[in-house]
Amino acid sequence: MTIGKLKLKNPVMVASGTFGFGEEYQDFMELDRLGAIIPKGISLKPMVGNLPPRIFETEGGILNSIGLQNPGLHQFIKDKLPFLTRIRTHLIVNFFGNTQKEYIELAGCLNEVPGISGLEMNISCPNVKQGGIAFCSDPRMTYRLVRAVRKSTQLPLIVKLSPNVTDIDSLAKIAEEEGADAVSLVNTFKAMAINIHSRKPELGNIIGGLSGPAIKPIALRMVWEVSQRVKIPVIGMGGIVKAEDAIEFILAGASAIQIGTANLVNPQTSTEVIQGIKKYLAENKIHHVRRLIGLFRP
Amino acid sequence: MPLQTQGIVLKNNKIQSLYFLLEIDCPSIATLIKPGQFVMLKIYGSQDPLLRRPFSLFKKDLGRHRQKEKRGRFSILYKKVGRGTQKMTELEKGARVDIIGPLGNGFTSPPPLSFRNAILIGGGVGIVSLYPLAEALEAGRKLSVFIGGKTKTDILCLKDFKKLNSNIFVATEDGSLGHQGTVIDLFLSKREKLWREGPSPIYSSGPLGMLKGLARALGSKRFLCEASFEARMACGFGACWGCVIKTKDPRTPYQRVCKEGPVFNLGKIIWGDR
Repeated sequence: MTIGKLKLKNPVMVASGTFGFGEEYQDFMELDRLGAIIPKGISLKPMVGNLPPRIFETEGGILNSIGLQNPGLHQFIKDKLPFLTRIRTHLIVNFFGNTQKEYIELAGCLNEVPGISGLEMNISCPNVKQGGIAFCSDPRMTYRLVRAVRKSTQLPLIVKLSPNVTDIDSLAKIAEEEGADAVSLVNTFKAMAINIHSRKPELGNIIGGLSGPAIKPIALRMVWEVSQRVKIPVIGMGGIVKAEDAIEFILAGASAIQIGTANLVNPQTSTEVIQGIKKYLAENKIHHVRRLIGLFRP
Repeated sequence: MPLQTQGIVLKNNKIQSLYFLLEIDCPSIATLIKPGQFVMLKIYGSQDPLLRRPFSLFKKDLGRHRQKEKRGRFSILYKKVGRGTQKMTELEKGARVDIIGPLGNGFTSPPPLSFRNAILIGGGVGIVSLYPLAEALEAGRKLSVFIGGKTKTDILCLKDFKKLNSNIFVATEDGSLGHQGTVIDLFLSKREKLWREGPSPIYSSGPLGMLKGLARALGSKRFLCEASFEARMACGFGACWGCVIKTKDPRTPYQRVCKEGPVFNLGKIIWGDR
C-alpha cells in the first residue's frame, strides 16, 4: 500500500482528532501496529477551543464541537512530537490554518521537521480573510490553497475533504490536479441538536460535526464516487467500527481507511480491524489487501 | 495506569427510587482505585448507546480469595436518567461489562496532618465519590458531611456515612428530609461554628450549579477546596477534549474533566460558561 512515497504496513490509520497525540492510547493498545498515526490537528498558534458542552450523543453518532483545540505548532514539536516519532509507524501530521498564508507557513515548517512521514491538510476551516467561509466551499479557494501548500512541502500530501459541499468529487479532482498524493474523506457532517426542555442547543457552539456509525452509508457512497473520479489513492473514513465496515470502504475503492469515533469507545478498535481484515483476506484466499481495492462491482 | 478489561456483575439492585447499586467483580481494576477516580462503563457487546458512560467509584473490596489475582470487586451507584442507564438496570448477575479505568486524578488525600477536621459536601449522586475519601480521612479526623438533594429520595449513602466517624447534615430543596434548602445554604449556616473548631479542607462533589454556588459562597478567600466535576464525556481518557471546563490556567484554559480532573481546586475554575 503506497501513498505518494509512503509505504504502509497495513491500510489502517487513526483519524485526526480522535486519537489525541497518541500517548493517550499507549495503556490500551500497541501503537506500533498501526498503518499510520494521525494526531490531533495543528495550527500555527495555539487554539483554546469552543465553549462547552462540546459533546452530545445522538442515535448511532456523536456530535462534537471541540473547536480544534491544540497547543500550536511550536508546543506540538516540543511536547508531543518526541513521543509520536518513537512509535514505529508512519506519522502523518494533520494541520489547518485561518488564512492561506498560515497553511503555507505550517507546511513549510513541518517539511523541515524530522520524523514526519506525511501531511494531511484539513480544508474544512473558515478562511478569516474571506469572510469566514470554509476553504473547501469555494473550488477556486481550494485550488489556490492546495497549489500553494503543494509548493511548500516535499512530504506526501493528503487533502482531507469535507462532505459539507455540493460536489465532493470535483473537490477531489481539484486536489489531484494540484498535486495532492491522496485524498481522505469524509470529515464530519455539520449538524446540531436541541434540548426540548431548556429549548437551548445541546452544544455550546450550537453547530457541531456528526460522526460515528450514523454517517457510514453516506461516507461510503462518497468514497465510491470519488474513487471513480480520481486516480490518486482515496483514504476512506466515516463510522467505521469493525473490520466489515473497513472492508466495505476498501471494496468501494479506498486504498486505506481511518478509524475515528470508534477509538473513543473502544481504544483497541484499530488493532481489531487490522486483525479482521487479515482474517477476511485469508478466508477469501486473497493474497494482498491491494487486490481488494475497488473490487465492488455494481 | 488505566486499563481496558471486562468485569462480571455480582449485584445490580435498586436501592431507592431511581438509584441502583452495581457491584462488579474486576480484580485488575479494583486494586488500582484511588478515592475520587471513575470508570467508563459499557454493557459488553452492546452498540446502543454508542458511548461509554462515566461513573464515580463507590466502594471497593479487595476480599480474601485464596488466589491473590482473584481478589477485588468494586461498586458504583448510579441514577437511571437516560437510555444508557435504563439498559444498565437490566443487567443481571453474571452479565459482562466492558470497563476502562480507573481514570482521572482523584482527591488529594490525606491532607496535611495539621488538619484535624474535614468538610465533605455532596449533591445528589455526587456524594458517591466522597465516600471512599471519607473512609481514607476518617482515622484521627473529625468529618462533617453535608448531603443534599432535591427531595428525600435523592439523599444517598446516609447509612454508609453513619457507619463512619462523622457528623452528618442533610438538606433537601423541598424539605422532605433534614433542612429545607440547598446543601450549600446549610453548609453556610454551619460555617462559622465549623471554622471555630479549626482549619478544615473542603471536599465537594455534585452538579455544576452546586459547585458554582459553593465557589461563590467561599468567594476570593484563600481556601483549600477540592471539587469533583461532572461532564459529558466521549472517551474518558483524554483523547477527544470533549469534557473540558474553563480554568485560570493561562496556557490551556479549557482543561479535561477526565484527565486533569475530575477533581480540581475549586479556586482554579472560571465560572460563567453554561
